[in-house]
Amino acid sequence: MEQRTLILIGAVIIAVIAIAAFVARSGPATTTTQTATQSPATGTATTASPTTTTAAAKGAICVVYDIGGRGDLSFNDMAYLGAERASKEFGLSLKEVQSKSEQDYLPNLRTLARSKKCTVIIAVGFLMTDAVKKVADEFPDQLFAIIDGYIPDKPNVLSILFKEHEGSALAGALAAMATHYFIDKGMDFKADGVVLGMEIPPLYKFEAGYYWGIRYGEKIYEEHEGKKVQPLKILYTYTGSFNDPAKGKQATEAQLAQGAAVIFNVAGATGLGIFEAVAEYGHRQGKTMGPPFAIGVDSDQDWIKPGFILASMMKRVDVGTYTAVRKALEYKSGEIKKYGGVLVLGLKEGGVGLSKLEDLKTFLKLAEEAGKITPEEAQKIYEQVKKMREQIPQWIWQEAYALADKLVNNPDVSVYGVKWSQIEEFAKNPNPDGIKKIREQLKVG
Amino acid sequence: MTVTAGNSLLERLRRDPRMHEAVLRFGESIIALVIGLTIGAVILWVSGYSPGEAYYYLFQSSLLDTYGLTSTLSFATPVLLTGLTFAIGARAGLFNIGAEGQLYMGALGATLLAWLAMHVPLLDSPLGTLVGLLLGAALGAGLALIAAMLRVYRGVHEVVSTIMLNWIAYWLVYYLQSQKLYWPKDPTKSIPVPPGARLPLLLPGTELSASFLIAIGFTVFTYYLLWHMVHGYELRASGLSPRAARYAGIDPNRSIMLAFVLGGVAAGLAGAGEVMGRPPHYAITSGLSNLVNMGFDGITVALIGANHPLGMIPAAIFIGALNAGSRAMQAFAGVPLEMVRIVEGVIIIALAVPGILHMIEEYLRRKRELREIAAKEAEASQAG
Repeated sequence: MEQRTLILIGAVIIAVIAIAAFVARSGPATTTTQTATQSPATGTATTASPTTTTAAAKGAICVVYDIGGRGDLSFNDMAYLGAERASKEFGLSLKEVQSKSEQDYLPNLRTLARSKKCTVIIAVGFLMTDAVKKVADEFPDQLFAIIDGYIPDKPNVLSILFKEHEGSALAGALAAMATHYFIDKGMDFKADGVVLGMEIPPLYKFEAGYYWGIRYGEKIYEEHEGKKVQPLKILYTYTGSFNDPAKGKQATEAQLAQGAAVIFNVAGATGLGIFEAVAEYGHRQGKTMGPPFAIGVDSDQDWIKPGFILASMMKRVDVGTYTAVRKALEYKSGEIKKYGGVLVLGLKEGGVGLSKLEDLKTFLKLAEEAGKITPEEAQKIYEQVKKMREQIPQWIWQEAYALADKLVNNPDVSVYGVKWSQIEEFAKNPNPDGIKKIREQLKVG
Repeated sequence: MTVTAGNSLLERLRRDPRMHEAVLRFGESIIALVIGLTIGAVILWVSGYSPGEAYYYLFQSSLLDTYGLTSTLSFATPVLLTGLTFAIGARAGLFNIGAEGQLYMGALGATLLAWLAMHVPLLDSPLGTLVGLLLGAALGAGLALIAAMLRVYRGVHEVVSTIMLNWIAYWLVYYLQSQKLYWPKDPTKSIPVPPGARLPLLLPGTELSASFLIAIGFTVFTYYLLWHMVHGYELRASGLSPRAARYAGIDPNRSIMLAFVLGGVAAGLAGAGEVMGRPPHYAITSGLSNLVNMGFDGITVALIGANHPLGMIPAAIFIGALNAGSRAMQAFAGVPLEMVRIVEGVIIIALAVPGILHMIEEYLRRKRELREIAAKEAEASQAG
């Protein structure tokens, strides 16, 4: 018994020494490897005089990802693309932290802010709004940026929002023209649809733009073909969830049964069910490509069910993160006097857009690097999407992309008595009453 | 002076078997920790990351930094309480894995308080805090009571009942969060607890709230109950051997009930404390994503802490430190979250191994003793 005790006490002592030696050894090792940025020691030194942080401009881009994080081939990966481009161009290092749950937002932001190593801290996702507000007040000398969050009144926070209604209008126009083309070819379609996530005001922007775009597309189709067409029915469904593919599938099947040819995904991960339902519907009829089609959202999702996804309404989060870094550097070097505020990125700024074949290439590469597909598969997907695009007349694609210029240069374009400028005004303050009126005016439902 | 003090300590160590046992267990944990860290280091090194840098940031940012330490303690709080749920059960001979669902119910209790406070302004005060904690504890205990009654009256094994009840609680709370108790301004969350009824922060600018004190208080209470009160003695006795306990006049079923309800209260407080004490949301988020897995993480804490309330305090702080330090490890050592979690998993498994071995050893010992007794009885009857 006594011998056992002695052996154990000895083991404990050895273990403690081993750990101490290990930690002591790794401390200095860190300092040497980190000289490129800042050693922990100099990090605390700068705390004393905040002005020196600005002088030592060679800092880092710090990115906090939302739940889901890197590898989603969508929102978060787009944020990474932009940050990485900025880090290469401006010679800054890139530091990334992911969030496992909502509890991680504050500690992630605070840990980065306390380190004093970040030129700018970018929070990717509107769920972090409250946390960014709090931490921005605690660290007034630290610059922050938030994607999709609205924090207009802090000098050290840049809010980056997107004109989703603009991209959605292009998607709507493409959907309507393609649908009428297939109807004229003798196919039995009557409607276009949209399946949405939770009913929250930001989604009204997608709705308004999409409906307007559909009516606009019909007008263009009539002008091009020189004949009147039967207006499409427009269907919309709120599933109440952003992460329930089963609900997305169910809602899509109901819309397909009502004769929908194109269904727009505004539902996050719920949208994966939309793609599945559309592809299944097609496969059942022995087709290898649509119609029916889905339209992707946020990133270029055309590759997920190749042939059944007409195009994607891309929200260029990468442009957002890149712009945040650029503005932060301009502010630190004194080029601009004001940093904080709201930056809205639309078609003009390249913040939103309709996916093209070149975009698909970029994303296939990303998927390849992430190990989700092989190069052979990537080639096959590319060919399939190209073939699908070729079955629809070129002029339809051209008109859809051309709408971008029209919206930017002439906001007075009007369909069904609704001017585009009216949609833009609504998008500044999306609200339930406003969307009801727009639905009525554009004969939705 | 110091020499005699040292001597008496050694003397006590030699005399007091419980002290001896504690030192033994602590030594085992240290050895396990070193093994875990070493394996983790090898994994990091093989994957192309610097183990020294990674561990430096992991522990420097979680233990040697004031803010980091508060973050560590705030993450230790819920898992300490849910760990107690498992440990109390284990002491009563149960395998109670229902902390997860009971924690959801506790969070629901705090959210009900938030809803009530919308109609009764009086509850936007410390009175509301009390009501929220009581509701949480009651709902947690209520869910546990179902499993307890199923076990006592119908003989349903607690592993089966608690797994099922976890899911029922999950979907019930999910339903209420998304359909009934959602916050109109942001439906991805439930109604937030009003400022006056929140658990106060122990240090401004951190996430450490008074829920930490509640957890420590409950842990000490549990220790006192188990080792210094009759009910606790009965609970442990019936855990060691229900038959012997019954022979000694103890009702094992009452002990089972007590263990379940007490565990339910602990998990309920953990859930209520998370909602009422953690900035910035003070609410249940969509999909319960700010609560998920806290109950199961408690099992780890119980295993590392050898199901002893006082041993679980350092265990919970260690688990909290792994969580808090993961940020700096990602940001400054460049180790991606997935790799951070692999390494942390390895360390945790290594730490839990001695606990598991002891449980197996204990089980085998009991079996052997029973067999010996049976053999002796057989011998005696033959002789007779």
